[in-house]
Amino acid sequence: MSVNFPSRKISVDIPHLAFATFIAGWAAWYCWDAWHANAAVENLVLILPVSGIAVVLYVFVAASSIKRVDKPEAKSASPHAGLSRKTAVKIAGSMALLAGFVIAGPLVGFDVASFLYMLLMMTFLGERRPLILLIVPLLFSVVVIYCFGTLLATPLPVLILRGQS
Amino acid sequence: MIAFHALIAALHLLGSSWQPWAVVIPGILIGLLVHAVPGLTTSMALAICLPLIPYMSFLQALIFMTAMYAGAVFGVAVPAILLNVPGSAAAVGTTFDGFPMARAGKHNEALGLALAASCFGQAVVYLLLLVLAGPIGTLALKLGPPEMLVLSLWGVTLIGTLSGRHLSRGLLAGAFGLLLGTVGLSARGVPRGTFGSVLLLDGIPLVPAIVGLFAAAELFNLVGREYIVDDFTQRRVQARRILGGMRDAFRHRGVMLRGALIGSGIGIIPGGHAIANLLSYSVAKRLAKDPEKFGTGDPRGIVAAESANSSSEGGSMATLLALGIPTGGATAVMLVAFSMQNITGGPSFMRDHGDIVYAVILSNLAQVGVLAIVGIAFTYIAGYVVKVRLRMLIPTILALAVIGSFALSHDIAGPVTLAVFAVIGWVMHKFDYPVQAAVVGLLLGRGTEGALLRTYQMSGGHLGFLLTRPIAIIMLLLLLASTVLPHLRSARSAEQKERVLVK
Repeated sequence: MSVNFPSRKISVDIPHLAFATFIAGWAAWYCWDAWHANAAVENLVLILPVSGIAVVLYVFVAASSIKRVDKPEAKSASPHAGLSRKTAVKIAGSMALLAGFVIAGPLVGFDVASFLYMLLMMTFLGERRPLILLIVPLLFSVVVIYCFGTLLATPLPVLILRGQS
Repeated sequence: MIAFHALIAALHLLGSSWQPWAVVIPGILIGLLVHAVPGLTTSMALAICLPLIPYMSFLQALIFMTAMYAGAVFGVAVPAILLNVPGSAAAVGTTFDGFPMARAGKHNEALGLALAASCFGQAVVYLLLLVLAGPIGTLALKLGPPEMLVLSLWGVTLIGTLSGRHLSRGLLAGAFGLLLGTVGLSARGVPRGTFGSVLLLDGIPLVPAIVGLFAAAELFNLVGREYIVDDFTQRRVQARRILGGMRDAFRHRGVMLRGALIGSGIGIIPGGHAIANLLSYSVAKRLAKDPEKFGTGDPRGIVAAESANSSSEGGSMATLLALGIPTGGATAVMLVAFSMQNITGGPSFMRDHGDIVYAVILSNLAQVGVLAIVGIAFTYIAGYVVKVRLRMLIPTILALAVIGSFALSHDIAGPVTLAVFAVIGWVMHKFDYPVQAAVVGLLLGRGTEGALLRTYQMSGGHLGFLLTRPIAIIMLLLLLASTVLPHLRSARSAEQKERVLVK
């Protein structure tokens, strides 16, 4: 997504500018936080100069995200412009499901959470065969919980497969 | 250089019993398998196997651990090539050309190239060690905080300038990574950037962050596709083509040897293994007549990165054996194994147990041959990943990565880190920021800060101190040259092209 300013003949790549601002803003905040915690050299010896460099680099990056529209390359300046709506929805959905699994895993138990995650994610990505949708998540959950619990001696939070972890 | 009496004693140790050899294949297999699961590390696998150590003789334990190490050194290349997921920082350079080759249906050849280069790199470093174990240890002692500082900065700037089309974005990603790497308690014991959470006091969990940045970003990009390789005729897994790839690696002997030597030298420095593959890749690209082919699936890229990362691991073994200093997580666990056998690493170990040192070096040379054979079988099986539908592969890898992250951190910090960095990695990828630069910065952040602080303390704040460190000056000049020269060169060639067009 980019915003054109016809009267000024410039185009601003807003999403990219927002992301670069996020990085530079975090760097500046981090430097402030470290300074606030302790202003001694030991605490700031790397953070202060690197944050400064990050802010300077941000200026260059921000400048590069603003293009004159009369330049031919300005139309294709944004590499993310080609993302179709369908793909964007799929990616956003995959991210949301991953976030759900991350939260649910330790709370509900990784056996149930991983089964549900695999089932939902496979369905979301287009798998429609009922047998596959049942067997793959089930096998995955049992094998992984068994391997981590027994072979790797790393018990995981589980709800049902208690003997295996 | 070679202590022949110790060498003969080593041959006797290895030849008099089958027991030391019995652990080689299991060790290599464990090392290879560990990196098939995103989130699992060599150090973790070594740590899990620590309880077995008391049941082994010291030599057997060392051979077992080095075999795991040897397997893992190559193992990281497999997901790096097939899935663009480097199991560790040492395989970052492998992804540059490995994954494009896999996407083009040349996964068999890419795996063969990586295996041959990995075996070659390991053979070179252990041959060097056989001759130069003592002098390498002495050299490692001369490299102090200033050299480590320059090396770390070199790593970050190299990767920032190497990957991607935009220098400022590459450097910004590197700076972002460096800062992220210092989050947590400082040398003063004060928390920084933790948002008040105790989970971040030890810093951002590295492995989940790396897996998130790399794996998830690429997997999200694959959402909507059917297979990793689009053309079904290219999805075949063929041992013949893997062997062909191995043969092909020897067509680039110069690149491979240079990579092995770079890796051997850099590997002796703490944290060096993370940089060796990038440095070797960068040198190979710079010296190539057609550098524009690198990053598009050029075999030389894989060969350069793999020969360097495998030899750098051997270099870190040299530091461990000669000085008793671990240069990474895996060698730190090995040092624990030393203490479990009531043996102290370091110069006295070299003096008192020269036969064992030589036995380990010789067994590692033999392990290279075993790795080549076991590796072919492993890569053949691993190659079938390209035949799995992505709608099954993507959830499986992501779920494994989340569970692996939890197992590593033992709390929700690992999975949350993975998810957060997955989104950051994907966005970085979309806006053409080199994720690798952020990863290398993240890995080196803490070490760079420590090295900078110690350099500052040693110098008392006087820049003139650097003049007393010739190695650091040379490295600094190389850093500047490798950052500035390519851009000057490309600017000049662009100017020449423009002139030609005007005419």
